[in-house]
Amino acid sequence: MTRLRRAGLAPERGPLAVAAEGSGGLRLVALDPEARALGLRVGEPLGRVRARIGVPLQVYPADPEADRDALLRLCRWASGYAPLVAPFGPGEAADGLYIDVAGASHLRGGEANLVADLAARLARSSVPAGIALADTPGGAFALARHGGGDRVVVPPGGAPEALRALPVDALRLDPGTVAGLKRLGLRRIGELDALPRGPLARRFGAALLLRLDQALARRPEPLAPLTEAAAYAAARGFLDPIGRQADIVRTARDLMAETAPRLERDGLGACALRLSLHRVDGALRVLDLGLSRPERCPERVAALVSLRLDRLGSALDAGFGFETVALAVTVTGPMPARQTDLGAASAGDGVGVLADALAQRLGRALLRLEPRASHLPERADRSRVWVAGEGQGEGSGPAGRGATASHGGGVLDPDASRPSPRPSPAREGGPGALLDQGRCSTPMGATSRTGMEGKARTRASPWPEDLPPRPLVIFPRGEAALDVLSTVPEGPPRRFRWRARIHRVTHAEGPERIAAEWWREPGADRDYYRIECEAGHRLWLYRDGPHAPDRPAAWYVHGLFA
Amino acid sequence: MGLDPADETEAALAPSDPRARLAALRVRLAPPDRGRDPSLVLPLGVPDLDAHLPGGGLVLGPPHEIAPAEPADAIAALGFALALCARHLARAPGEALIAAAPGQPLPYGHGLAGLGLDPGRLLLLEAGSDAEVFRALEAALHARALTALIGLLRDGLPLKPGRRLQLAAEGPAPPLLLILRPAPASLPNGAATRWRIASAPAARDRFGTLDRPRWRARLDRCRNGRGGDWLVEWDHAAHRLHLPEPLAGDAAAAGGSRA
Repeated sequence: MTRLRRAGLAPERGPLAVAAEGSGGLRLVALDPEARALGLRVGEPLGRVRARIGVPLQVYPADPEADRDALLRLCRWASGYAPLVAPFGPGEAADGLYIDVAGASHLRGGEANLVADLAARLARSSVPAGIALADTPGGAFALARHGGGDRVVVPPGGAPEALRALPVDALRLDPGTVAGLKRLGLRRIGELDALPRGPLARRFGAALLLRLDQALARRPEPLAPLTEAAAYAAARGFLDPIGRQADIVRTARDLMAETAPRLERDGLGACALRLSLHRVDGALRVLDLGLSRPERCPERVAALVSLRLDRLGSALDAGFGFETVALAVTVTGPMPARQTDLGAASAGDGVGVLADALAQRLGRALLRLEPRASHLPERADRSRVWVAGEGQGEGSGPAGRGATASHGGGVLDPDASRPSPRPSPAREGGPGALLDQGRCSTPMGATSRTGMEGKARTRASPWPEDLPPRPLVIFPRGEAALDVLSTVPEGPPRRFRWRARIHRVTHAEGPERIAAEWWREPGADRDYYRIECEAGHRLWLYRDGPHAPDRPAAWYVHGLFA
Repeated sequence: MGLDPADETEAALAPSDPRARLAALRVRLAPPDRGRDPSLVLPLGVPDLDAHLPGGGLVLGPPHEIAPAEPADAIAALGFALALCARHLARAPGEALIAAAPGQPLPYGHGLAGLGLDPGRLLLLEAGSDAEVFRALEAALHARALTALIGLLRDGLPLKPGRRLQLAAEGPAPPLLLILRPAPASLPNGAATRWRIASAPAARDRFGTLDRPRWRARLDRCRNGRGGDWLVEWDHAAHRLHLPEPLAGDAAAAGGSRA
């Protein structure tokens, strides 16, 4: 309606209605206030309306496509208030939008001023609107449509109070549920909320409670924000569809070459790219490419696309060919102009290129080991996705706080890839710090070790340096050593069986006691021994829990030394 | 002069001293092998070992295969490979990549210090198969961005990927390329050297505690060199291999003698 009037397609005055094909002929789908004043209702058959009223009624055909476009235009305009703008979803009557003003209202001088400004500007553009500002999208929806005013601002935490008196229609329920509630005499949200939840869920389904909770801020409601049109994008259409890999790669290079000058002008590089391939039959293939560093070199992007297509092989079903290829830069990063050395690229660059190539070709990320502050050996290190420009070799060593950075593409979750161990040395002195009971009995080679380490690592390293020797390989959890024979009850074993072999111990060092992390999960302290057996294998054994005379000791092999 | 013109050019090129002439002829006859350039080999630091290797060390570029003598020695072989890697990293800037096939043991960050390897200079790649390891190593060789590459294989190095790696390694500034395979997975391939590593009782320090790891390293095959068998120990502070000193006492004997 508003769209028609604003476009000058409909007269400014006079009753106006929009009709669409419904059950049994044309039915009204929208009315202007004048038409509503005549007693017309949405959903009435047009023929009956024509017969009933004597006034000439302007009727226009409904055009949902144009309505959606108009709403999207309005959303784009509204994103001037806050970046997160979402049009109403399906089932919420497609004629409104949410603006998430959290953190943005102060820019307009507070929430009330923001709403006033929004209303004034909408009125100037002759867009009639009901505006409500509440804690939740559901609450705002209800208040905007049933709140009894054009502008409602609910203070934080006031949503339940404000919603109590509203009709149940405000809850974004399907008409059948609303009718059912009304038959039961439940007209207000407050009445509904006072009822026990179990019977309600059984009678009307979980959707009712979901909507109720969302409106009353008991359950979060994610918005589906309007995806921002990529600022840097290029597309190319083909009269003759293309299907060969070389053509796609060349097109990608050309598109990147088209985009690169714009990126360069703004001092940006692409961190993530999306290549959309529109097939002739309407199917859409999307390739997301992640880059380790901002990049705008067309040849390099083309190489990555080529690697990705190599990996996909026939999984990228070209069918009868692609008629449109679009390249959009989805994430940008600053990429200031750099003076390049003539000839050689720097080493960091090379690793970045390699990381990108492996990510595209194998779909696997380069990982880097990182220490983690924990006493338990198996938790004390973890692998993390390698990120360009960080911890370049020796030196630096930013003890990353585990913000697993990854850019789209085929980057894996590092934590999923490896059970992580992690100990931390006595110097942290937290609860459960190392009880060095072994230190007096075994010197642990402390003298020689500190000397060497001081030389080996002169720069700051995130890895603790005063840790007793640790094995080269550690098992995610200890493997039981059986048939353990010890000469001293509380001492190290003399002989044990592990992995179907008898190991005779010729040398044992320890114990090093590592306490369980009781603040995470309860467990027994472990006494670790370094063991060398006859064949020269060096193992890391621990006894789970202290020695107790009435209980057989449980021994585990936890790691292997080189 | 009346002599054969060929003889004349020869005389002009080479000095008259027969030894020098012989040396010049050897240079002319020698294959275009990279092993001649000292910057393209990794000397192991033990003259006895280096004498067996062409060019006085492990040639950078072509793959070197390291295998445990028996399955239980897998960690010893990994330790030997990482020790060589640490030695190379100590001599050259850059980073190392370990590409591991599934099921192969990955090093524990805190344990690397015991070998003198900085975990911050180590990159890991968990590949889905041996073929992916080869692809990753090949890409890394082409990129020339890393100083050392280690591939942990499940099924061994066949001839064809070995040859591809060798081709990819040709060119300036090749990295050290080590291939670690399980004990039973012996395949014919073009590796420059093939090592078999077994664990041996470690050296003791003066308190009688375990100090330097020792391995029995057997050089099974070495292109343009000789095989051999040594007991070596690894000094992680100096980043070099040693032959145990005969009088320093064997592991078992050192126990109570000094402490």
